[in-house]
Amino acid sequence: MASRKKTQELLKGLYNAVVFYDEKAAAELSKVALEESIDAYTAITDGLAAGMKKVGELYAAQEYFVPELLLCSDALYAGLGVLRPHIKVKQAKVKAQIVIGVVEGDIHDIGKNLVKVMFDAAGWIVHDLGKDVKLEKFVEEQQRTNSEIVGLSTLMTTSMLAIPKVIKMIRSQSTNVGIMVGGAPLTRDIAKRYGADGYAENAGTAVQEGVRLVEMLKKRKAQK
Amino acid sequence: MELKQDKIVLSKRIEALLSGQRPDRVPLFHFTFGFAARNVGYSIASMYNDPEKSFMAQLWTFEQYGFDSTPDFGYASYGEWEFGGKVRFPTNEWEQAPSHKSFAVQSEEDFKKIRLPDVKKAGMLPMAMEFSKLQDKFGMPITITLGGNFTIAGNICSPDKLSRWMIKKPKLVHKLLQLATNHILEVIQYWVDTFGAERVRPRIWEPLATNSIISPKQFEKFVFPYLRETSEKILVMGIKHILYHICGDHNLNLPYWARVPMGNPGIVSFGQQVALTTAIKYFGNKCIIAGNIEPAIIQNGTPQQVYELCKQCIEKAKYAPRGYMLMPGCEIPPMAPPYNVYMMKKAVDDFGWYD
Repeated sequence: MASRKKTQELLKGLYNAVVFYDEKAAAELSKVALEESIDAYTAITDGLAAGMKKVGELYAAQEYFVPELLLCSDALYAGLGVLRPHIKVKQAKVKAQIVIGVVEGDIHDIGKNLVKVMFDAAGWIVHDLGKDVKLEKFVEEQQRTNSEIVGLSTLMTTSMLAIPKVIKMIRSQSTNVGIMVGGAPLTRDIAKRYGADGYAENAGTAVQEGVRLVEMLKKRKAQK
Repeated sequence: MELKQDKIVLSKRIEALLSGQRPDRVPLFHFTFGFAARNVGYSIASMYNDPEKSFMAQLWTFEQYGFDSTPDFGYASYGEWEFGGKVRFPTNEWEQAPSHKSFAVQSEEDFKKIRLPDVKKAGMLPMAMEFSKLQDKFGMPITITLGGNFTIAGNICSPDKLSRWMIKKPKLVHKLLQLATNHILEVIQYWVDTFGAERVRPRIWEPLATNSIISPKQFEKFVFPYLRETSEKILVMGIKHILYHICGDHNLNLPYWARVPMGNPGIVSFGQQVALTTAIKYFGNKCIIAGNIEPAIIQNGTPQQVYELCKQCIEKAKYAPRGYMLMPGCEIPPMAPPYNVYMMKKAVDDFGWYD
């Protein structure tokens, strides 16, 4: 069992590995953490995920841009790959589940991938459908996983028009789901008009919006 | 009562601006591919893989909607096919433009094998030449539309890889960018050799170097030197005017863009992310400013909203020192309500005249 000081050092090391996008260090320190019997869940939440939270802040402050975010996410996943299999089941408090994808007709997925990273880092279960996703696939996956949230992304003004259609399709099958959207041509106003419950301008605000929608669903359920 | 003439005179107003004269009215400049296809009953793909249909669809649509500009041919994923990757032309109702199918360079090893393509044969260039021959036949300016250096580099190896390699393998990125630069110059030289420098008007789109992707420091290091080299060498060929479509949020990059020569005058077009007053501050003394009606509003707004937005743009930029053209901030959405598109013409007719 690692001393408190050693534990803090390793957690800080994991944090720094993500913030300074050192993929190798993230994987190695994750292994060391396990060897030192540091709890995997703690290593993720207080090390890797805390680092990714800082990355989100740096992105919001325009100190980091997409190249840095991509490398930070590589470091995050390198560490998660080592630590996740060792999480004790009862600890793995899943915050919520999200089905995410870029809608049919659109192959621009950098933004969606960054949003995925943020949800992963925040402890959500993410069902990533990828890009150019057939609209019915969103419905099927939400039904299969019973995810609370569906996240729809688009960059083009043509594929943007698929958003209201897929929202109707999802709602026709499930009433207790929150739908959030994002992507260059969308705004909060358009999102609302298309029938979405939420909108995220960028990856940095997406998790916060997801949490808000989960709370909204809980309130709605409680009122019934 | 004396009426001002309402006659379609493609390119005349723009030619006036380019020669340093004030036209009678703010010109209306297009960014109209899929919308033109749908307008005349063609497939959206035909705008990118059938030069004659693309040319005629634009010509007829511009006449109908009162655009002052002349047709052109190109798409943002340019570079992928030309360097050995594959593009997919739009086929379903949600697709807008050719998109990536496979990238030519997926590893450093792939890069070692890559060569400058033959500009007479590679990818879409034979179609672009066929299109330019139609422009020639109709006595129009000859345009060749290409991605910017950074966008082409991203289309060779994928934007994700380019982003990662900027930090992990910067030397490789510089080699990719030099390759893209040399390619752009070879293409434009081919056009100049075919039609003469006086008639050739390169149009270069740079969507990938936006601050939604890269930082201004990365722009300074990886984009600016190659843009400047490209522009300087294009102008040395004898070309007078280059149009740069500075697509997306480039606000933090503008100090660098302002140091890129674009001709006398150059033409710069912007998306809604860059305010026209900011554009005039940086470029007004040396470039015609064009932009920046938000495409999503053309798609989703009411006619009154589009009209009001156009009015505001005209009022802000009409008296830019080297002139202004009303233009969408990026491509007019193919499914845009036709009456919304017409609102741009109505706005230039109502507010665009010079005394």
